[in-house]
Formats: sequence, structure tokens, C-alpha cells
Amino acid sequence: MEVAAWSGIAALGFGILFNIPKGVIPTVFILGFTAGLIKFGLMHFNIHIVLATFIAVFFVGIICMPIAHKIHHPPVVFCIPPTIPMIPGYFAYETVLSVMNFIFKEANPSERSVLIDAIFTNGFTMFFILISITAGISLPMLLLRKDSVKKLED
Amino acid sequence: MLLVKFISQKQTQKKLQKHYIYLPFTDLKKEMDASKELIRTADLLLEISSLLMVSGANTNRVNLSINRFASALNYSTSCFISHKSIIITVYKDNTHLSCTQVKNIPPYAINFEIISAVSKASWTAIEERWTLEQIAKEIENIKKQNRYPKLVVLLAVSMAGAGFCNIFNGDYINMGVAFVSTFIGLLIFQLTHKEKYNVYLRIFAASLVASILASLGIVFNLGTNPETALATSILFLVPGVALINSFTDLLDNNIINGMVRFTTGLMTVLAIALGLFIAMALFQFN
Repeated sequence: MEVAAWSGIAALGFGILFNIPKGVIPTVFILGFTAGLIKFGLMHFNIHIVLATFIAVFFVGIICMPIAHKIHHPPVVFCIPPTIPMIPGYFAYETVLSVMNFIFKEANPSERSVLIDAIFTNGFTMFFILISITAGISLPMLLLRKDSVKKLED
Repeated sequence: MLLVKFISQKQTQKKLQKHYIYLPFTDLKKEMDASKELIRTADLLLEISSLLMVSGANTNRVNLSINRFASALNYSTSCFISHKSIIITVYKDNTHLSCTQVKNIPPYAINFEIISAVSKASWTAIEERWTLEQIAKEIENIKKQNRYPKLVVLLAVSMAGAGFCNIFNGDYINMGVAFVSTFIGLLIFQLTHKEKYNVYLRIFAASLVASILASLGIVFNLGTNPETALATSILFLVPGVALINSFTDLLDNNIINGMVRFTTGLMTVLAIALGLFIAMALFQFN
């Protein structure tokens, strides 16, 4: 529970860094909180991180359509900050760190194979988390085949 | 020989003058005005799309906004958007007039408020049938808006850094270390913005300073999980927007822009990792 609150705060912090309009701030916090709750709740039940991320982001994507109507801001503005706590970048950083350790430090073959395993795991996890975030955000729009939220009649 | 050439030149001049006098003057002026307006429209549309790209919109959003503004002014457009420049062609459907302009995009600074304001302006421009001057004035107003004060941004991002530390199971002291490292790292990143260093150099410097500060936490053994403070103190630099936008562009079949953004994100991650690596090598633990 507390983790979800901190993901909400993290989403808010990044929202301010990206200079979101002032009226969107509470929405971003609530969305970040909800997404964090879903993702970490699912991971608690041992679901794989990529799937949990996808479900959480898909949920955010579905909710953001009626919200975009109410608040009159395009969905980009309050869909990207809540997904930042899903941190695809953490795995990217781990990948590059493993690559550097691999090249500059280790000469021991068994350690090197551990590092190669780390490189591939982290690299592909990052890749798939990115795909799941993008797919989760774009999928509701793609499924309804509309170009813009404003044209939605429902 | 020369005299013959001179006389024939004079005769052709007289012929040309005859034709020129018969040309109706008002048509020529109308065409000049229409092409001037076309050039001004192209310039304004270029400015709008450059503004959107700098603020971090994905390519599809830029295309949609430009199409909306152009249809409000009764023109059609086609554009080629790349990372550093935009080429746009504006034309009117029933005439032969068209104008192609190129513009270079200034360095990026993510600003969602601008994206939202331009999007709203484009819808209003269509509904209320704005003219060129109205659109230009609205864009000037949008560009003048301020960002949040620097202290608020610093505090908010530092809280985000502390939040990341909590997500990775740090306790409150680790979160405090992450807070301080993020604060000072972001401060350095912002201060070097004015000196116009290379952006990757700035990211490397911010990452180095933040990770040195977090490593001090490990050296003095603050809190239960000091390693999490080190791992999360640099996460504020991570280019989430660039990576997410890259995949959105790839999904929309803008492969060039997608790959470009992904490579930018990867370069940023490389700079961050290099900073962290050197800090860890300085303190010599793994």
C-alpha cells in the first residue's frame, strides 16, 4: 500500500518535471497511485513483471479516455507520468552496467557467464516492459480505431 | 556585328513591353499576395510543429495538430519530420500554388503544458475558423507561459527519487540519501544548462555527482539497504519519455523517428551508466 503511495508521488514528481498543467496534478497522482497498486498487487501474487506492468498500464489507458473528456486535456499529458514509476529505464541502466562490468572488470569465465545472463535478462526485460507500456497506453485507442479522444461519442 | 545584335535586342524588348502592358495588373498583385500568405502560413505551421517536437510530442500528434491548423486555414499540408529539422509543403487544392520550407529544431525541453495548450488551440481554431493572425497570436501567448519555479521542480523530483527508493525496498534513511543525491544531481543538471555544455556531458556530470553522494551513504553505512539508494539516486535522469515516444512512433510506422528517439534514449542511458560506473570504481566496490 505504501509502495503505491510512493509511486503516486514519483509520478507526480515527474509530472512536475515535465511541466504538466496545474489542473492535471491531482489526476496524475491518483493514476500513479492506482497503477502502482495494481502492478505491485499483481506482482505480490507472483505474476511476471511484464504482464503486471501491461495490465496496470492498460487499465490506465482505459480510464484515461473518459478522464480526457472531463478534464479537456489530451491523454498524453496524464498517461505518461504515471507510467514512469514502472521504470523501464532501471533495467536499461542495469543492462549497460552489466555490459561495462563484463568488458572492463571480469576475467573469470564463470563470473562472465553470470554477467552475460544479467545482460540478456535485464536488456530483454527492459525491452518488453517498454513494449508493454506502449501497447497498454495505445491499445484502447487502437481498438476503437479513432484518431483523437475528442471524437469519441461514448 | 554588334550593331545588328543591338537592334534585334531593341526589337525583342519592344515586343516584351507590348505584352507586359497588356497583362492585367490586379491578377499579378493577387497572386503575389496569395503566395506571401502561403509563405507566412508555412512559416507559422513550421513554428507550431517545431514547438510541439521540442516539447516532447510524438510524431503522430504533431501531424494531427498541423493538419487541424491547416484545414482551419483552408490549406493542405504534407510534412517530413525528423529529429533535427522539419520540411513542410503547404498547398491549396485548386490552385497551382505551393510553398516548401525547412526549419531546424532547437534543443529539446519537455513541457507537457505546451502540448496540451497547442492541442486545445488546434480544436478551437477549427471550431471558430481562426485566421492566420489569431493563430499566430495564440501561439505567442502559449510560448510566453512559465514553467514551475525551479525550487518546486527540484523538491518534486527529489521526492520522486525517494519514492523510487521505497519501491526498491529502502527504508526512510535510504530515502533521505536518495532525496539529497537527486536534489544535488538535478541542481547540477539545471545549472549547466545555461553554460550550454553538450547534453550528454551534463547527464554524465549529474549522474557522477549523484552517485558519489549516494556512495557516501554506503561508506557510512546509513540505513538498512544503502545499495538501493545508490541504484535509485540516478533514476531521475532516465529518459522515460524518449523511450516511450520511440515505441509509440514505431507503432505508428514512423520508423525513422522511432529509431532516432530510441537511440537518443540509449545514449542518455549510456551516459548515466558511465557516471555510475566511474563513481563505483572510485569507491571500489561492486
